Amino acid sequence: MSPSLSTSRAVLRLTAGTALVAGVWCGLLPRLLEWPPVARHVALMEERRVDPSAMYYTELERLPLRPAWVDDVLVLWP
Amino acid sequence: MRQGLHEDVAAVVIGLAAVVLALAVTWQSRPADEPGSRERYPKGWYTPLADTVGMPGTWTDQPLAAFRDKQGELAVVPILLGMGWVVLVGGLGTLLTGGSLGRFLGGGCVLAGMACLAYLMASQKVVKYYNLEYPLWALAVGLFVGNAAGVPRWLSPALIGELFIKTGLVVFGAEVLVSRLLALGLPGLLTAWIVTPFVLVVTYLFGVHVLKIPSRPLCMTLSADMSVCGVSAAIATGAACRAKKEEISLAIGLSLFFTVIMMVAMPPVIRAMGLDPILGGAWIGGTIDATGAVVAAGESLGKEAGEVAATVKMIQNSMIGLIAFAVAAYWAGWIDRDPNGPRGTLAGEAWRRFPRFILGFLAASLLCSWLHSQGPEQALWVEGATTGFTAKLRGWLFCTGFVCMGLQTNFRELAPLLVSGRPVVLYLAGQALNLALTLAMASLTFGWLFRKAVEP
Repeated sequence: MSPSLSTSRAVLRLTAGTALVAGVWCGLLPRLLEWPPVARHVALMEERRVDPSAMYYTELERLPLRPAWVDDVLVLWP
Repeated sequence: MRQGLHEDVAAVVIGLAAVVLALAVTWQSRPADEPGSRERYPKGWYTPLADTVGMPGTWTDQPLAAFRDKQGELAVVPILLGMGWVVLVGGLGTLLTGGSLGRFLGGGCVLAGMACLAYLMASQKVVKYYNLEYPLWALAVGLFVGNAAGVPRWLSPALIGELFIKTGLVVFGAEVLVSRLLALGLPGLLTAWIVTPFVLVVTYLFGVHVLKIPSRPLCMTLSADMSVCGVSAAIATGAACRAKKEEISLAIGLSLFFTVIMMVAMPPVIRAMGLDPILGGAWIGGTIDATGAVVAAGESLGKEAGEVAATVKMIQNSMIGLIAFAVAAYWAGWIDRDPNGPRGTLAGEAWRRFPRFILGFLAASLLCSWLHSQGPEQALWVEGATTGFTAKLRGWLFCTGFVCMGLQTNFRELAPLLVSGRPVVLYLAGQALNLALTLAMASLTFGWLFRKAVEP
């Protein structure tokens, strides 16, 4: 295979892949957002200010500290 | 090539320098009014460094909206600066390890751009709210470019993925605070600490001895990401036991796939079982891999369930340091030991092979844990430095590390294992054990042993 052919194939593959990703991310996924179960899930997460993509607790919008109500429900150090 | 430091030592030097910088800058800009007030500073003190590590924001159908802040103002500069940190850390790492800065720079900028693209894909609303985290897209971007176009020669000197991941892990140590372990007292400790190590060890042994998976690092990485806390545990333990790039990628892919299913399925199952929300929250916190997905599933059961789920997960999160240390010591002392090699003491042999970056990770964790325990002001100081800067910096470093991994990943090596389905069986078997034991322990601790009698 000549280098120019190889390069043109690579460019073609990259372009096709990028177009596919752009189509899914900008076309399909926004449509999916209109589907009621997905819309309900997203609305609930936004209302509760939850970031489900957080990898670690420090990335959450609210740090999970000891809940204030916990002493009313649990005997923490019996 | 010039003689340089070992990659682990370079990661420790750069990582600890970033943590110290974050603490120093945050201290310099400490607030004059009520510095110890959590109501006033719920995520710790403001740090000016936060403005230097931006990431693309959430968007729905217009990707350019990701480059605007919540007020609609252009926020390109902080994102460019975030990419700048990647180039700076990579450049310093290259210099310290004896490489050529000039040969790194061009490729480093391209890698930072690819990491930004991965973040952009992860911040689309549907993707974000279903917990398909950035490591998945970083791996995908790298795999796609690597397979579609190949890796050009000029990019090769910048492919220092392990250095990015190890430096990210040292910086990550600052977020692993020992005091978090006690957030829910004994019930939380028992739920997170008895079940998690047990499931980790049993799943690992099941993979090695029953399923006969030939790669022990793959068994350990899969077991840790399933039983501890998903992607972050896979990164830490995978690096500690020197798992291959392909093995860490596989573990992360499996974890994210099943996390989405569990995040959606567990709340209705808990409701159908008629479980108490607090017990349900503890069950979710102990079983779903990813932190964000735990909070999302917990909140769907109610506020209290969400709080318990998040806190149990945070306790599990805090185990990463000890588990990574234990895995590194076990690997150095037993697994990597050459039976025909020169005989020394076990401790001496283990120390010789011990991955040094784990020590940097522990040093950052112990330093920040100690500072955090000194009082309310110091706690807000550490939280400001970590949530405002180090958490975002390690995010960029992990993301870039995963792009490198994707570019260098050869899935053909894993093809026989994937076809056999054994890693999936291992994950499912471990998760089934995890679900059963966590429910039993959470019922015992949150439902009966420590539960106050309900007032009539």
